[in-house]
Amino acid sequence: MKVDRRTFLKLTGAAATTTTFAGLGFNVSQAKNQAGELKTVDATATTTTCHYCSVACGIIVHSSDNKVIYTEGDPENPNNRGALCSKGSAMRQWTDNEQRVTKVKYRAPGSTDWEEKSWDWALDKIAQRVKDTRDQTFVEEEDGITVNRTEGIASIGSAVLENEACYLLVKMMRAMGLVNIEHHARI
Amino acid sequence: MPKSILIDVSKCHGCRGCQVACKNWNDLEATLTQFEGSYENPTRLSAQTWTRVRFIEQTDGGLRFLFRKDTCKHCTDASCMAVCPANAIYRKDKTGAVIINRDECIGCKNCVTACPYQIPQYSKTAGTVAKCHLCNEGDRDRIGNGLQPACVSSCPTGALIFGDRAELLNDAKARVNHLARQGTEAYVYGEKELSGLNVFYILDEPSETYGLPAKPTFTDNDVFWLAKWANILFGTGLLTAIPYYLFFNSEEEPQDLEADDEESNSSEKEVS
Repeated sequence: MKVDRRTFLKLTGAAATTTTFAGLGFNVSQAKNQAGELKTVDATATTTTCHYCSVACGIIVHSSDNKVIYTEGDPENPNNRGALCSKGSAMRQWTDNEQRVTKVKYRAPGSTDWEEKSWDWALDKIAQRVKDTRDQTFVEEEDGITVNRTEGIASIGSAVLENEACYLLVKMMRAMGLVNIEHHARI
Repeated sequence: MPKSILIDVSKCHGCRGCQVACKNWNDLEATLTQFEGSYENPTRLSAQTWTRVRFIEQTDGGLRFLFRKDTCKHCTDASCMAVCPANAIYRKDKTGAVIINRDECIGCKNCVTACPYQIPQYSKTAGTVAKCHLCNEGDRDRIGNGLQPACVSSCPTGALIFGDRAELLNDAKARVNHLARQGTEAYVYGEKELSGLNVFYILDEPSETYGLPAKPTFTDNDVFWLAKWANILFGTGLLTAIPYYLFFNSEEEPQDLEADDEESNSSEKEVS
């Protein structure tokens, strides 16, 4: 295409005029005032409990394609009635967080490095340690009174445990003879 | 009927739930912050932080902690809207929310300068300005879908209330009377300021103590008209000059480029 100077200037002039006045004919306010579809519209809502303190606020988790897209307070939960503090509001980062530790880390006694271990290894190790400690620190009798207690182990519960989990946990700890059973929200 | 958020500082205990809820709903990244002598965190608004709780420590006559949620006030006389040369800032007719259309924003930062509350924040990475949209835009339009803004729905103490502006103003005055009976002198900030703020406060100290100007000024378009026209003239000039250059200087241009390349190549060889 051959363009001389005159035609070029004509064309740019026309283009500039068109762009200057093009916006006048359309009414965009209608589109701008329309309510959009929410990002959570196709998400699955699941209820859960905040684990940060003993209030145990209810939380609704909105997830889509196995990814959490929003978390908010559960208005039907009598504890918080939809409200959440900054810690509860930040619940979403528990799944969507590159700093989250997802594998078992083990630091041997005296060592300065963390090693990666498997869950099987860790559970066996915990069972072995519990058994050893209990055998070593079990007290059967004190001042002529039968006490049958394990003094070398303590248990710390969590606010995120529900009734059933707490029941099982306490049963197990009592069965092993623990007396130092605490809850993290009381410390 | 404009919608409003009433921020009652006498009920706020600074948990910052609103701050995090806003980030959560609007998918705003967390920012790396540093301790700067105050419990405030983050210490300033940014394109990634649209609301934050300000912590004001009073040490005269015993320690007192004052909290104020800082966010866009969605003013009736919105300076940001008046000075925007790209008309990228608009107001929702139904709710009165002042919203930046980030697709149309050209990043000139006129609104950043004009806002009496220093709310709009420029993002270097996006090249645009961002601020609170009262949860009333696009797929984050909670108000349009019958929900409360994310910050309000998270507030545990009821320090944030959302509703019709006229009703909230009555509620605010009743609360001020209630506080007066308890011996606290409080007042409504934002009823008359800038012809009425859509996000307004109940304050129990002078507004300057809370970091709010007592008489916020409206910056009119007039101040920026020169910049606006300079922008248009400069833009039109460039649009004409660049194609003109490409069309009519095409014969000389390639030769120049080749010559440059050869020079740079030879100089590189010398260095190596």
